[in-house]
Amino acid sequence: MLMVKGINKIAPTVVESVVLPKLIRLNSNLYGAAFFLMKLLPARFILDRARDAGLLHEGSVVIETTSGTFGLALAMLCKLRNYKLILVSDPAIDPPLQRRLEDLGTTVDIVREPSATGGFQQARLDRLAQVQAAHPEHFCPAQYSNPHNPGAYAPFAELLTEAIGKIDCVVGTVGSGGSMCGTSLYLRLLFPHLRVIGVDTHGSVIFGQPDQKRMLRGLGNSLMPPNVDHSVFDEIHWVDAAAGFTATRMLHQKHALYMGPTSGTAYLVAQWWAKQNPDATVVVVLPDEGYRYQDTVYNDAWLHERNLWLDNLPESPVRVDHPLEARSDEWTCMDWNRHTYEQVMGAPFSVGKNDEPVARIR
Amino acid sequence: MESQFINNSRACQQSLSSRRNFKNQTGSLKPGYGVAAAHHGELLQGVFAGDDGRLKRVLVSIPCGIFKSEVRFTPNGRDVVEVEPKWKVKSARAVELTLSSLGKHKCGGKVQIHSNIPIGWGLGSSTSDVTAAIRATANALNERLSPYQIATLAVRAETACDATMFGQQVVLFAQREGLVVEDFRSSLPTLEVLGFNTGSHANGVDTIAFPPARYSWWEIEAFRPMVGLLRRAVYLRSAQLLGQIASASATINQQYLPTPHFHDLKEISMQVGAAGLQVAHTGTVAGLLFDPNDPSKDNRIEQAQTLLATLGIKHMWMFQTGVNG
Repeated sequence: MLMVKGINKIAPTVVESVVLPKLIRLNSNLYGAAFFLMKLLPARFILDRARDAGLLHEGSVVIETTSGTFGLALAMLCKLRNYKLILVSDPAIDPPLQRRLEDLGTTVDIVREPSATGGFQQARLDRLAQVQAAHPEHFCPAQYSNPHNPGAYAPFAELLTEAIGKIDCVVGTVGSGGSMCGTSLYLRLLFPHLRVIGVDTHGSVIFGQPDQKRMLRGLGNSLMPPNVDHSVFDEIHWVDAAAGFTATRMLHQKHALYMGPTSGTAYLVAQWWAKQNPDATVVVVLPDEGYRYQDTVYNDAWLHERNLWLDNLPESPVRVDHPLEARSDEWTCMDWNRHTYEQVMGAPFSVGKNDEPVARIR
Repeated sequence: MESQFINNSRACQQSLSSRRNFKNQTGSLKPGYGVAAAHHGELLQGVFAGDDGRLKRVLVSIPCGIFKSEVRFTPNGRDVVEVEPKWKVKSARAVELTLSSLGKHKCGGKVQIHSNIPIGWGLGSSTSDVTAAIRATANALNERLSPYQIATLAVRAETACDATMFGQQVVLFAQREGLVVEDFRSSLPTLEVLGFNTGSHANGVDTIAFPPARYSWWEIEAFRPMVGLLRRAVYLRSAQLLGQIASASATINQQYLPTPHFHDLKEISMQVGAAGLQVAHTGTVAGLLFDPNDPSKDNRIEQAQTLLATLGIKHMWMFQTGVNG
């Protein structure tokens, strides 16, 4: 049981010491929740629940198909708990992360060849099935569909209510649906009018855009995660890579917060909304630190070469009435009004024929 | 029906071994008096982890001074405890436990309980009797017991008790262990409560026999931000935040013990601009909570009374928390 009260005691492992964010006042009405590695929260909760259900014990095999921060969180926890972790990944995994995972004893199983039909995504799923078959007793955390992912955010909600009290608006990026849907549903029990603003990027299918290659990573998805509960959201923003990266640098330059690009992207939206609504108390979720992005987002040459540096951040988003009106190169928003996907799009989500199912899950 | 005479013979046998003890165990009793206010259901009831990390069933009571239990203890020179009314055997047991815990194994007395607390509404009538009885007994021995000591005795007498003995002090109380899971080290901020009985359970709810709620894992987690907000509300002395906690807890409880007219009551709470709606989680009383510093408070209360009457709720009462009583 993760204790919020008394968190400053000596931690039994690094996980307990960094699993909850630091809360930082960014403006008179805007608080940043700066995580070291946010995915530790769901990884820990998922593994705890599986252990309590008797599905995990020392020496158990854990298998997941992530190449992003959820994999890193799992790797840290599995090392500390003596579980054997196998991550099925694709060549998109960045080499320093792979080395870090392997240093923690994780087996990183990289799919080298795309499948004849279904590309890397299919190849990865095929490989996953093989690995699972080879370890019949394994446990699969399944962050995109496991309800314990969104369910993991109650200690975060407890920290927010204890430190801030009444909260009017939460802003954060959406990738698996875990942090935003989980935190918001807990907070809405207390604050039914809580405004929930989800931040996505163009080319992500989550809020109705056609699947496309995306430059801005760590948010959005090429698949529809069952853990996204669309009816949680009041408002959706799509942020392009240039604005997201520049805002990440702003967060550093203005507030000395060295965070990753999902943090900067959420900050762009949150600081705008907080300025428009000076009487509202706003929390922005900042999911990870900036060190993984030293050679990219924090490298001016890298940004300029790709034409991703903006001298001036846009002051406000372009407002649209439908996700398909959002142009790919500008910060866009629409009122989602707590609707379902089907209510907004007119039909339930299905993978379109032209969607190139390349593995872009982070 | 159990006898009104609760025999202390086992305690006698244990204590007869020492003459010196024996003398100490019988002397210096005077008539004693104790009083305990009722509560008005809970601000919050659910499950929370204690310092040991284990989940416990917990509650935060709303003290209510307009209902109370008074107990007079009169030594009878014998080693039996007699209680009036005779059926309040838990109070007799509490007196017996108090005497023996204070080393008076050979003592007995007459315990007269006068209470205006309705039974089965979820006002904690039983714990109020027990608490007043323990206080009266301690008073007869010139002792003062802390709420923590009273809670330990009360839970042994009753198997589960509420946090009545803490008065206005805010504690997250484990009702089945008689333990404080979190002491907020403060009195409850002032709330103006418009109370009423939703009372379709004609005979009330037997709070001990009532099966404990089987909360889902999500609900268990959902209590955490409520407790977090309670810490903030106590710190800020905020009636508004307390109201939001009460409404959330009442909402979760609807699956386990539905409050009659709950939906309408919540509507009324929102319509009149109350801070929140609280319920007895094992009973039938409920209350609309108002901020005493709200300038339109009186108008809101008046409006609420009118709307409650349309639901057939005629009998209402007002009280304040955070004041002595």
